[in-house]
Amino acid sequence: MHPANETYKMVSEDELVGKAAALMKGRAILRTMFACDERELDGTLKLYAVFSVHGEDRFETLVQDVKDYGEGPTFMSITHAVPAAHWYEREIKDMFGITPDGHPDTRGLVLHGMYPEVARPLMRDRSHEELRRLIDLTREDPYKYMEVKGEGVYEIPVGPVHAGIIEPGHFRFSAVGETIYYLDPRLFYTHKGIEKQFETVGFLRGVALAERVSGCSSFSHGAAYCHAVERMAGISLPVKASVTRTLLIELERLYNHIGDIGNMCAGTGFAVGYAKGASIKETLMRLNERLTKSRYLRGVNTVGGVEADVLKHADDILLTLDRVKEEYKSFMEFLLSSISHIERLEGTGILSKSIAHSLGATGVAARGSGIGDDIRRAHPHLHYDRVVFETHTHAKGDVLARMMVRADEAGCSFSIIEALLETPYKGLLKTDPGQVSPRRQALGYVEGPRGSIFYWVKSGDKGEPLRVKVRSASYCNWPLLPFAASGNIVPDFPLVNKSFNLSYSGCDI
Amino acid sequence: MIEKLLYNIFRSKEAVSYPEISDASEKALLAEAKETIDKVFGRSLRIRQVDAGSCNACEWECIALTNPVYDVQRFGIDFVASPRHADVLLVTGPVSVAMVEALKKTYDATPTPRLVIACGDCAKDGGVYRGSYAVTDGVHNIVPVDGYITGCPPTPASLIRGIVDIVAGRIK
Repeated sequence: MHPANETYKMVSEDELVGKAAALMKGRAILRTMFACDERELDGTLKLYAVFSVHGEDRFETLVQDVKDYGEGPTFMSITHAVPAAHWYEREIKDMFGITPDGHPDTRGLVLHGMYPEVARPLMRDRSHEELRRLIDLTREDPYKYMEVKGEGVYEIPVGPVHAGIIEPGHFRFSAVGETIYYLDPRLFYTHKGIEKQFETVGFLRGVALAERVSGCSSFSHGAAYCHAVERMAGISLPVKASVTRTLLIELERLYNHIGDIGNMCAGTGFAVGYAKGASIKETLMRLNERLTKSRYLRGVNTVGGVEADVLKHADDILLTLDRVKEEYKSFMEFLLSSISHIERLEGTGILSKSIAHSLGATGVAARGSGIGDDIRRAHPHLHYDRVVFETHTHAKGDVLARMMVRADEAGCSFSIIEALLETPYKGLLKTDPGQVSPRRQALGYVEGPRGSIFYWVKSGDKGEPLRVKVRSASYCNWPLLPFAASGNIVPDFPLVNKSFNLSYSGCDI
Repeated sequence: MIEKLLYNIFRSKEAVSYPEISDASEKALLAEAKETIDKVFGRSLRIRQVDAGSCNACEWECIALTNPVYDVQRFGIDFVASPRHADVLLVTGPVSVAMVEALKKTYDATPTPRLVIACGDCAKDGGVYRGSYAVTDGVHNIVPVDGYITGCPPTPASLIRGIVDIVAGRIK
């Protein structure tokens, strides 16, 4: 059983690549790809590849039974047909021990050296305790960084502990003079095993975990998770809850976008701009705290609705946003008339449309490279089909384009929130979620500040969580960074990085 | 170009109005922070922040400490780029398995005397991630901890409160 806008198609091992290629030809977008250990249901390991069909509010999911011919489970890699699948397939190898046959990159992705190859943490019969015993901190990391050879090429290793207050990750630059020739990022230092934890805490308590996948997208992650569970259980959301979620998603977008625009100033050493952005962001964080008792909007989402009556603070929201809007306007005018800042952004860190498209870019990164993908529009959810808004794209793909996408979207968020608060809403904040039926599956999704967030949930024989797959926006966008950084000078890397502002925790999960 | 630059510099009078700290207890806290740090650390407290697998909310709150509202640099508190320059390690996150070695190395690179503060609920005992195969259930399991700041994430005000109290030796 699954929601109406999802179709699940069983394909054979030989059909998978062809079917996936055909979907790509029809301009479908790969949303997520994962494995699920369903041996307790029907004795199989299954592979799922979820696509958004172009121009329709429909998801087509290809499902394949994974075969084992005696040398461990394998499937035919679709990466050559669908380049966006490259990370998903390496992840499936790490987490389930299923080998993507023909994948161009055989290195591990999520699990670092201390995990032995037999760990396979997402297999259902592996317990946390067992895994802890298998982990050996002294084990050598077999990971080989991509090497660039030639006259004058040298490497700059950075991280995992960086100079600023940033999340951990390792960057290996191969540079020629000042110019970055190649960048190999090694992430997943903050891998916390959250997907496995979802399976043990139960569907209702999973919200708290989803809210802690990525701190600055806490609300969007919580909302996407609830959306998935509600769709799976067939719960229809009360109007007031739907409005509240839409409003808070936009507030989250607003504080992120304005904060990010300010942070880009730190990348060019423009202290005044940084301070102004940070100050406007602080005003919004304080509004968050007044509305929900949490600066990160935590504890509001619950399966079946929302816990807090945020809409009764309509006056406070509108008053604060009026002030913020004025400040934001003068802030943007100030930035755009600061030539020394804007010149650094122009032509820096260009991400081409073709790379963004083939690697499955999402959110700000995609829209800054001329791809108008916005799931608020492509797959209307919550109250987005009842408010008028535009999807802004900028074609140049440079740091400036990504800043302008944020600037335009922040403007949009103001008007969405104002439109939502025009009418009063009556009724309940939440409905009783009841019991989840066995063997159901559904996608949940939200357009978060960094791009689309997907959750896929499936219930087992007792209605318990069998699998919760998290696909954050950052996971899609991290592989783009090396392409945007190449050809730029090393000192511009922090700026390019800030223009994407990806979450490490949200990617590493 | 120069004209435009000068114009920008001198035009900055129309600054953004910063949200002010109006709360009396918050004001008292900031005054106390200044006094304690002056006394205990000779007007300078250097913090090296280490993310050992947090969800990044703690990081954003540490960054907020340097915004124009809290502006902790005026008390002599600053976040430094290298552990070798630090008096305090402020560690966030439940310490993911992949960050164990990096955290140990950072600790070893910090000159003594040093303080280690575990920041956030998950740094204390793993928080919501407790029991997961990929975490080690708290900073104290990897390096000795001198004090804890709770909250998920702690607000900027409670970060200042915690730092002041731990530095003054008021909580262990």
